[in-house]
Amino acid sequence: MNNNYTLLIIEDNPDNYYLMNFLLSKHNFNIIGANNGLDGIKIALQKVPDAILLDIQLPEMDGYTVAVELKKQKSLKNIPIIVVTSYAMPGDREKALASGADGYIEKPINPETFVSEISQYLKPK
Amino acid sequence: MNRPFLYQTFLIINLKILCMIIITFSFVMLNAENQIIKVGIYNNSPKIFMSPQKQASGIFIDIIEYIAEKENWKIIYVEGTWEECLHNLHTEKIDIMPDVAFSPERERLYSFHKTPVLSSWSQVYANQGTTINSILHLENKTVAILKSSIQEQAFLRFIEGFDIKINLLSLKSYTEVFRAVYDKKADVAIANNFYGLQHIKDFDLFETGIVFNPSSLFFVTKKNTNLQILDTFEKHIQHLKNNQKSEYYKSLNKWTTENVSYQFPLWAKIFGLIIITALIITTIAGFILKKQVKLRTKELEKSNLEMEQKVKTRTKELAEAMEKALQADQLKSAFLATMSHELRTPLNSIIGFTGILIQELAGPLNDEQKKQLALVQKSSRHLLALINDILDISKIESGQLTLDYSEFNLDEVMEKTTKIIEPILQNKGVKLITNISHKVDSIYGDKRRIEQILLNLLSNAAKFTEKGDIKIYCTYNKKLCNIVIQDTGIGMEKDELSKLFKPFSQIDKGLTRKYEGSGLGLSICKKLIEKMNGNIKVESTIGKGSIFSIEFPYKKETINE
Repeated sequence: MNNNYTLLIIEDNPDNYYLMNFLLSKHNFNIIGANNGLDGIKIALQKVPDAILLDIQLPEMDGYTVAVELKKQKSLKNIPIIVVTSYAMPGDREKALASGADGYIEKPINPETFVSEISQYLKPK
Repeated sequence: MNRPFLYQTFLIINLKILCMIIITFSFVMLNAENQIIKVGIYNNSPKIFMSPQKQASGIFIDIIEYIAEKENWKIIYVEGTWEECLHNLHTEKIDIMPDVAFSPERERLYSFHKTPVLSSWSQVYANQGTTINSILHLENKTVAILKSSIQEQAFLRFIEGFDIKINLLSLKSYTEVFRAVYDKKADVAIANNFYGLQHIKDFDLFETGIVFNPSSLFFVTKKNTNLQILDTFEKHIQHLKNNQKSEYYKSLNKWTTENVSYQFPLWAKIFGLIIITALIITTIAGFILKKQVKLRTKELEKSNLEMEQKVKTRTKELAEAMEKALQADQLKSAFLATMSHELRTPLNSIIGFTGILIQELAGPLNDEQKKQLALVQKSSRHLLALINDILDISKIESGQLTLDYSEFNLDEVMEKTTKIIEPILQNKGVKLITNISHKVDSIYGDKRRIEQILLNLLSNAAKFTEKGDIKIYCTYNKKLCNIVIQDTGIGMEKDELSKLFKPFSQIDKGLTRKYEGSGLGLSICKKLIEKMNGNIKVESTIGKGSIFSIEFPYKKETINE
C-alpha cells in the first residue's frame, strides 16, 4: 500500500504487538517496536518515524505521559501519535487527545479497517 | 490551840456585821429607790381591766403608771372582782383602789382625794329593736346588774319612787351583765357610761335614754391610811386635768373613742369577694400556666435538642453512607474500567488474528477454514457487542454516562445506520422506506448515542422482520424530534411489551434460538433517550408488526433549559 512509511509501535503486550506488526507489515509499512515508554521515546528520537502507535497501559511510564514527552521533543512535534488502547471508558478518548495524541483507536481493532484508519494520519510523501 | 479559835470567832463576828450592814443598806436602797404600791384591779373596761395578755389596762391604770413613773413607784396589781378588791382594801392587801364612786356611805370607809378622776353615770342598755326608752318601760323586766356595785344600790333607790316591779339579775362582771341581755336572759343591762360606750357594739345593744346616778370616780385608800399617796395622786391629777395635752386626756381619748369601723355594703362585699376570688384564680391559673409553659418550653427544648441530635446523627450517617456510596461508585468505576480493559485485550487478539486469517494475509485458506473462521469472527464480534452493552448499561446505572452534545446533521446519521442495515434486508427481500422531514438542517444532541439508538431499533426491526417493509419517519415539532420505525415483523403480545425495556428481558418463547442478542439493547435505548429528556414508546400487534417511536429535544435552547 504505502511504501517507505516507518511506524513506531509502543506496545508491551507481545500478542498485540505481533498482531499490529503482522498486519501493517503485510501492508508494506516499516515497523519498529518498543515495549515501554522510555525506550519508545529514545527510539523515536533516533529514528523519527512517520507515525507512532501508542498503547496506554505501559510499564513504568503510562501512554499519556509518553505522548506528552514525545510532543515536547522538537524533532517529534509534528509526528502523528495514534493511541491504540483497550481503555474505552468515557473520558479515555478525551484524555488521550488532551495528552497530545492525534488519533484514538479502541481495541479490539478491526483488522479490515485498521490500516486505512492509520493511513489517514499519514502525510503524503 | 487558842489562837486559831480566837481568830475564827473574830472572823464570824466580822462576817455577821458585814451581813447586817449589807441587809440594812439594801433596805434603805429599796425604800429610797422603789416604793411599792399595791393596786387593786378588777374588770371594768375601759376604766380599769386586765387585758387578755394579763396587762393592766384602762384610764385609771394609765394615770397610775404615769404617776408611778414620776414618783419612781413600783406598782403591784392585785386582781379580783369588785367585791374582792374592796375586801382586799379593807384587809390592807392592797394600798389603793381605783375607780371608786363617791358616796356618803363610802366616805366613812375610805379616804378620797379631792379632784375626781372621772365623772360617771349609770345607764340602761337594751337589745337592738326593743323600744325601752323610759323607766316605766322596765316594769316586769329582768334587769342585769353588777353585784354590790354602786349602780345596784342607786338603781334600787332610783326605781323606788316609780313603784315598778323588776326582776334583778346580779352578776359578777359587766361582761356577764351585757352577755345576759345579749343571750336574752335579761331584758336590760345597767352599766356605767364608760363601759357602755365601749361595749354596746360587742353585744349589739343600744343606749336607752334612761340615765341615773351621776357620780365622781376617785382613787381611794382605807380610811385614814396611805394619805400621803392620796396627796400625791391629788397633786398629779390636778396637774393632769389642767393640761389639755397631758397623759390624762390622751388616755381618755384612747379609751373612749369609739372603734370606728366602716361597714361595706353587701354588694361591695360580694363584688370584692368576686374580684378577690377572680384575682386568686387568675393568679393560680397564671402560675399553673406559667409552670405548664415552662414545662412545655422545657419539653420543646428537650425535643429540639433531640431533633438536633438526630439531625446531626442522620447527617453523619448520611455523610458516611455518601462516602461509602462514593467509595462504592469509585470501586465500581475502577472495576468497570478494569473489566473493559481486560476483556478487550484478549478480544483484540481473537478478532485481530481472525481478521488477518480471513483476509488471507497469513496465507491462503480452503473454503471450510474460511467458513469456520467466519463463525469465530461472528461469535467474537457478538461477544464484543455484549461486552460493550454490559459496560454501557453499567455506566448508565452508575451515573457515569455523560452525553456529548454537538450540532450535527441527522440525515448523515440516518444514512450511516441504514447502510449498515440494508445488506441484511436485501438478503430477506425486505424493503426499507425512509420518510424524513428536511425542515431542520441540523440538530443538537449526542450524535454517537442517537446513532446507537437508531441502529439498535433498526437492527431489531431487521432481525424480526422476514417479509414486507420497514418504514422510517422523521418529523419535528417546536421542541421535539420524532422518529418512528415501523416494521411488518412478528410483533409482540401486550403483556410482553411491559417487560420489553427491562435488562435481559428478550422475550423467551423459543425465540432466543432464532434471534440472538444480549437482551440489553432496548434497555440501553430507553435509558439513553431518558437521559436526553426524551422518551421511547412501542405499539405492537402479534403477527402484524411493531411500531417503535422516539422523541427527544433537538434545540440547544430547549436542552439547556
